Amino acid sequence: MASLMKEFTKGLWKELPPFRLVLGLCPTLAVTNTANNGLGMGAAVIFVLALSNVIISLVRNIIPKKVRIVCFIAIAASLVVAVEMLMQAFAYPLYEQLGIFVPLIVVNCIILGRAEAFAAKNPPLLSLADGLGMGIGFTLSLTFLGAIRESFGAGTLFGVSLFGPDFEPFTFMVQAPGAFVCLGLILAGMNYLNIWQAKRKGIELDPNFDAGCSGCGACKAMDKLAAQKKLERLQPAKG
Amino acid sequence: MMEIIRMVVVLSAITGLSGFVLSGLKVWTNPIIEEQVLMNVQGPALKQLFIDSTNDPIADRKTLPKPGSEGETIIVFPALKNGKLQAVAMEASGKGYGGDVNVLVGFDVTKDNLLGISVTTHKETPGLGSRIQEPAYTKQFKGKDPAKVALKKDGGDIDAVSGATFSSIGSTDAVKQAAGWYAALKDTIKTTWQ
Repeated sequence: MASLMKEFTKGLWKELPPFRLVLGLCPTLAVTNTANNGLGMGAAVIFVLALSNVIISLVRNIIPKKVRIVCFIAIAASLVVAVEMLMQAFAYPLYEQLGIFVPLIVVNCIILGRAEAFAAKNPPLLSLADGLGMGIGFTLSLTFLGAIRESFGAGTLFGVSLFGPDFEPFTFMVQAPGAFVCLGLILAGMNYLNIWQAKRKGIELDPNFDAGCSGCGACKAMDKLAAQKKLERLQPAKG
Repeated sequence: MMEIIRMVVVLSAITGLSGFVLSGLKVWTNPIIEEQVLMNVQGPALKQLFIDSTNDPIADRKTLPKPGSEGETIIVFPALKNGKLQAVAMEASGKGYGGDVNVLVGFDVTKDNLLGISVTTHKETPGLGSRIQEPAYTKQFKGKDPAKVALKKDGGDIDAVSGATFSSIGSTDAVKQAAGWYAALKDTIKTTWQ
């Protein structure tokens, strides 16, 4: 239970996908011109990510290692097409707004990243928690970014006017450059917060603090491999 | 060898299963999606055309056989006022500059003339060809005899949008096409919604 909570909450702050892992930036920058779009995109990603994590985790033992990426993509693509159809049927205006970015969820690196780094190695329940946590973290980030951009760029939040009719909106913020500037400021803010927190606790800042080490472990595996190779070389050749 | 067989089997099973699930989902959502597309793409255009109708043209729509081409159909939207048919609209398309220009063409059934047109979807250049959507262009069609719609350069009296000849030709072609269908279906239409 404790590890379930841990896997769920790590996506909400410690490994927050767009701002910590800096993953999935394409939709993060492209669809967040309003808070509503960010929320809709995030909901679609939660659905795909949670389900793809569970399914991949269920079949992880029968998937041959050599074709695992193809299998992951096939599963994610099917889920995305399903989301696309459901969105067209039940949320058509949102579908029109998000346009090409819905089919592009297939190649969103969060989906494949979580499949490869987590779901392929862990049981279904943990994978579900991981997928939900990452998805919710992604949604919160997108909604947050969308809310900032919408409130400055259009003077509204979720379509509700914030500052009254006299407000002159910064149109810059809802356009593409505004997304980059906003994201940069948020990333800077996150880093500042981390440094400040580390200082307050009086601990040395871990250089890998935002590398998403808990799920991946690739560098540890590399170390192990290198040690093994070294051992082989030290042993005298047979014969 | 065993490994290759296993790869083939697993991959086929996964893709086959997802194909099966998706086709099931498609069958279920298709009618809902059609309805949604009509409501969101044609709906606003219909509202512009049928100002004083008292019915829901999308709910009352009928699919009729397309005149001149065997096996194809067109959707006809009626405008009723107190249960009496006032006008109908159908969507036709013409070749524009960037692709098909889809135009919803309304016909007044009492006078057999054009009620108006409204561009639903197009891929014309923004700010140039896209001006065929503006009332300055579309209002010219109001009250015209459908058989005599043509651009000025073709001997008619519709002013093309300057700088957007192809877009104007495309939209006029669509109106002509719809006019042809209306002429052929006139009697069927009048007896369908009585």
